[in-house]
Amino acid sequence: MTSVTAPLKGFRILDFCWIGAGALVTKALAELGAEVIRIESRSHPDNLRLSPPFRPGTEGLEASGYFASRNPDKKSFALNMKEPEGRKIARQLIEKADAVTSNFRPGVMEKWGLSHEDIKAINPEIIYLVMPMQGSDGPHRSFIGFGSTIAALGGLVHLTGLPGRVPIGTGTHYPDHVPNPGHSLVGFLAAVYDRIDSREGQRVELSQLESTVNIIGPAFLEASIGHVPNAVGNYVRGVVPRGVYRTNDDMWVVVACADDNQWKALVAEASESDALRKMGALGVVERDSAIDEIEKAMDQWVGALRREEVLRRLDSAGVPSGPASTSADLLEDSRLRERGFWHTVEHPVIGEMPMFRLPFVRGPGSRRSMTRPPLLGEHTWEVASELLGMDEKRFEELTEAKVLY
Amino acid sequence: MSEGAAPPLKGVRVIDQTDAYGAYAGRLLAGLGAEVIRITAESEEASTTPLSAVSDELDTFQEFIDAGKKSLYLDSNYKDSEALEKLVESADVVLGSEEGPAPGYWLESNPEIVHVVMSPFGWGLAPSWGPVDDLIVLGQGGLLQLGGYLDAGPVGAYGNQSQIASGIFGAIAALVGLIERRSSGKGNHADVSAQEAMAQALEDSLPTYALTGKLKSLRGESAREAGTGIYACADGYVSMVAGRLGTAKAWASLVEWLVAEFPEAAELRDERWADFSYRQSDEANERFTEIFERFAADRTKAELYAEAQSRGIALSPVSNIRDLLENEQLAARGFFHRFYHERLETEVTVPGPPFRLSRSSQPPLEEAPETGSDTEAILMDLGVELEASDIAGTG
Repeated sequence: MTSVTAPLKGFRILDFCWIGAGALVTKALAELGAEVIRIESRSHPDNLRLSPPFRPGTEGLEASGYFASRNPDKKSFALNMKEPEGRKIARQLIEKADAVTSNFRPGVMEKWGLSHEDIKAINPEIIYLVMPMQGSDGPHRSFIGFGSTIAALGGLVHLTGLPGRVPIGTGTHYPDHVPNPGHSLVGFLAAVYDRIDSREGQRVELSQLESTVNIIGPAFLEASIGHVPNAVGNYVRGVVPRGVYRTNDDMWVVVACADDNQWKALVAEASESDALRKMGALGVVERDSAIDEIEKAMDQWVGALRREEVLRRLDSAGVPSGPASTSADLLEDSRLRERGFWHTVEHPVIGEMPMFRLPFVRGPGSRRSMTRPPLLGEHTWEVASELLGMDEKRFEELTEAKVLY
Repeated sequence: MSEGAAPPLKGVRVIDQTDAYGAYAGRLLAGLGAEVIRITAESEEASTTPLSAVSDELDTFQEFIDAGKKSLYLDSNYKDSEALEKLVESADVVLGSEEGPAPGYWLESNPEIVHVVMSPFGWGLAPSWGPVDDLIVLGQGGLLQLGGYLDAGPVGAYGNQSQIASGIFGAIAALVGLIERRSSGKGNHADVSAQEAMAQALEDSLPTYALTGKLKSLRGESAREAGTGIYACADGYVSMVAGRLGTAKAWASLVEWLVAEFPEAAELRDERWADFSYRQSDEANERFTEIFERFAADRTKAELYAEAQSRGIALSPVSNIRDLLENEQLAARGFFHRFYHERLETEVTVPGPPFRLSRSSQPPLEEAPETGSDTEAILMDLGVELEASDIAGTG
C-alpha cells in the first residue's frame, strides 16, 4: 500500500479569490495538502456560484457545476467583509494563516485594511498572492477584463487563427486556466520555499497580462530578428500534412507527419486516395510547397471515413494522429483513467460529479482522495470555534448580525 | 519589485534532460535563481525539430525556453557515464522526458533528488510512432473541441501551448518536491502529463457534459452573444465581454456609449435588448455585430480600448506583437527586457518574468547557451577528467 502525499500539509491559506484563475490556484494548493479557507459571503456571492452548468432541476448558490469544478478540497467560511466586524475577524484569521490569496482589482483588499503592508504588520511570515489583471501599478492598473480579453490583449488571439480570417483564439478564457494560475503557483511556491530558511513572507504579484505575454515569448524573438509573427493556422514548416480534419460522422481528427517515413506510411494506408498516392514520393521540402494540395487531399480522404476508422488505421500504420477529444472522450480516455486524473465526488445538491486533478502523479505515493466542494459557509462554525476559539453564543450573534453570513 | 534578497532558488542545481515538453520548466526555475544545466547528448545532436529539418534559422521556441541555462555536452555513452552520475549526486532536481528513465530512477543515485519527468501523456504512455506533435496533445487534452472555425475546423493555439503547460506544471512539481524534501529529508518524484495539463483548460465544457449530457462544440467566428466576442474595427479587432452576470452594468454602459456616438445604434434602447436571453439569440448577436462593427469601422483598437475602459466595459485590443512592444502599461512597469544577443548579433526584446516577488530578486533571462558552452567548467568542477569526445560538441 503506497502512502498518500500531502506536501503542503499544515499550510493554511485564507482565500479571497473569486471566479476563475484565482480559484484554480487555491484548488491546486488544496490538492497538495494545504488547508484552504475560502472567504465568501451571501451578501455578495462569487459569480461562479451563479454560473451554469446546473444539473436539470437544481438551482441556487450550491448548484453550480462550474463553481464545483474549481473548488474541491476547500473549506468555506461565510464572512461579510462589508461589516467592520467581518474585517476584524479576517485579521484574526490572518494571524493564524500562512498565506492570503486574492484576485481583486487593485484597491479592494486595501479598502478592507488588508494590504500587504497591513498584513505584514499582523503576520510577517504571510505569503501574499495578488493577481491583478495588469499589475497593481501603471496607467492601466484599474482596467478590467476576463480571460478572453486578456488572451486578446496579451497577443495569443492575434497569433491563433487562419491568415486573413477573424482571429479565433482558443474559444475559451484560456489564460485563466493554465498560464495565470500556473505561473501564480510557481511564484507562490517559490515564496513558500524561500520562507523555510528566511522566515520571511513576501508579496507575489501576478499581472495576468504579463503572465499571458510570457506564453508567446518566442514571438518576441521572431520580431527581434525581423520576422513579423502572424497567425498561420495549424501550419508548421516541414510538418506536412499537419491539421485537424473532419470525419464523415462530424468529428475531428488530428494528423501531423514530421518526417518522410510517417508521410509514406500515411500514403500507403490511405491507398484509396489517388490524390495522396500521386504525391507519395514527395520529400519534406516538396511537401511544404504542395501543402494546399496535400491538405485538400487529406480533407477528402478523412472526410469519407468515420472517426474510429481513421484513428484505428492511422495508429496501426504508425502515423502520428489522435482525436480532437470531446468532453465525453476525455471522461473515457484510457490514459487519463489509468493515471487517475478524474475523481468523482458526491455533492448533496449536484449529485455525482467528476473533478479533474493536477496534471502530475507524485511519488512515492498516490494521488490523494478529493473532498467535494463546500457549501457556502459550511465550515464557518468549525473554523470560528477551532481557530478563533469562538463560543456558540458569539457565533450566533455574529450570524444573526449577518457578519458570519 | 524586488528588494534584492537572494533569489528563492539560489544554490539549487537543476539537471535539465527535457525535450520540448519540459524545457519551459527549466526556464522558470532559472528565473528563480536556480543553476539549470541543460544536457545535450551526442545522439540528440541531430535535432528532429520540424523547423530545423528544412531550415537553419534560429529555432525561437528552443531559444526562448532554454534562456538562462548552462549547457553541458556529453558523448553518446553519457547515459552511464561518470559525469552524469556525479552531476546527479551534486544536484537537487533532475528534469526528465519520455525518452529518459522512469520518474524516481535517479533516487537510486541520489536519495535526496527531486525527479520530475514531463511528457505528452505521462511517462511510459507514449504512442509507438515517436515524437508527439503539440497539436495532437491539444486535441487529446480537449482544447481543440472549443476553438476553431465552423468551416475550416479547429486551430491549435500559437506557441506549442501543451509544451509550455507541461513545463509550467513541471516547475510546480519541482518546487513542491523541494518543499517536501525540506521536511522529509528525502527525495521524491513526479510524472507530469501534458495532456492532463491541457485538460485543466476545459472551462465549463466538462461539467456541462457531466451534468447535462450536452457537448460543447466549436463556436466559430461569430460572437458568443451580443456584446461578447471579437469585433472588427478600423485597424484590426477588439475583444469584449459585456452582458453576463457581473458585467450586466457594462451592457447598459455600452448601449449608452453607442447611442451617444452613433445614431444607428438607437434601436439598442428597445426593451428587448435589456433581456439577456434575447441578447443570446442569433438574431440579436448578428444585429449587434453589424451595428458595433459599423460604429467601430472608423475607430482604432486603441481608441475603443481607452473609451470602453473609461466606461467600465471589459474591452481589449486584439494586440499584435508591435502593439505589445508599444503598450504603455507594459512600458510603465518596465516589463520587457532588452539586451544584446551575442549569437544573433542584434538587440532583442523579450518578456520579463511572469510574476513579481517583493522580497526575492529575480535574475533576468537572456541568451540560451550554445551547445556545450559550459562543458569544461562543469566537468572540472565535478572533478571528472575531460576527454576530447566529451567536449566535441563545443562551439
